[in-house]
Amino acid sequence: MFVVDDLLINPFVSILEAVHSMAISELYDTAEIKNEIKENRLLYELGERSEAEYEQRNDELEAQLEIAREAHEQTRGKVEVMR
Amino acid sequence: MSSNRYTYGIIEQAPLDLDVTGVDGAPIETVDYRSLSAVISEIETIEPERTDENATAHDEVLRAVLQSDGGRTVVPMRFGMVFKTENALKNILRNGRVAFRRSLNDLDGMVELGVKLVTKDEATVDRPAVVEDVATRLREVADTEAGNDLYSDRLVFNRSYLVERDDQTAFDDAVAEIRETYGDDLHVQYNGPWAPYNFVDIEIGAEGR
Repeated sequence: MFVVDDLLINPFVSILEAVHSMAISELYDTAEIKNEIKENRLLYELGERSEAEYEQRNDELEAQLEIAREAHEQTRGKVEVMR
Repeated sequence: MSSNRYTYGIIEQAPLDLDVTGVDGAPIETVDYRSLSAVISEIETIEPERTDENATAHDEVLRAVLQSDGGRTVVPMRFGMVFKTENALKNILRNGRVAFRRSLNDLDGMVELGVKLVTKDEATVDRPAVVEDVATRLREVADTEAGNDLYSDRLVFNRSYLVERDDQTAFDDAVAEIRETYGDDLHVQYNGPWAPYNFVDIEIGAEGR
């Protein structure tokens, strides 16, 4: 029983941690958000997005980036974000 | 009242009279050290926010410097370089004078031009073939090239070129031909002249700011 518990519980914990850090790194991937900000700008410059669309999307992405930065700040040292 | 210096770039010392204003609308001035001048404006904060407006102001000052006095050479700074005092800035000019001098010589008479190729909606192209062809054509009319990040899936090509001012017309023509070849499937974004950001390799640490 003891052995089974160990096997069940310990891997489970590490999987949870892994899932947690993956979720954080994907949801709060600042590099990816920065790329989207640049892509949005590019598509606006090429005339594929209107100024209104560009500005709306840019505001959304800037807000996401802010949240992502805060999330990284708060989890620093607690969860290792593997990328 | 603040005496922070927002710094745009370094030029050969000479009077500078520009029609543009800097980040936050501040007037452009110079800080001189021996044969060098830093192009600056005063700023309240030491960490300016990188908004579109501020980034554009930074670029426009550098472009105005490039075009002033019949074409000047500038060693550009990245966005956001602020020194707390004039003396801190002069220290950088003194400590970096050899590197700045060398860059001014290397960049003399050169401008940076940027070329991006972006797929149009739904279009598919043979990416490696396009990249090779375009790179070959542009290398013939440029001095040096630098590759930039392909930050979007739709970006096929993103490079910067250091080009002699006198060769710029030939480079324009090469880009026009590329547009003719690939224009059905690809947007060709051609921009510049920029200050040669991608061809300067001077690190300025926080120390001494």
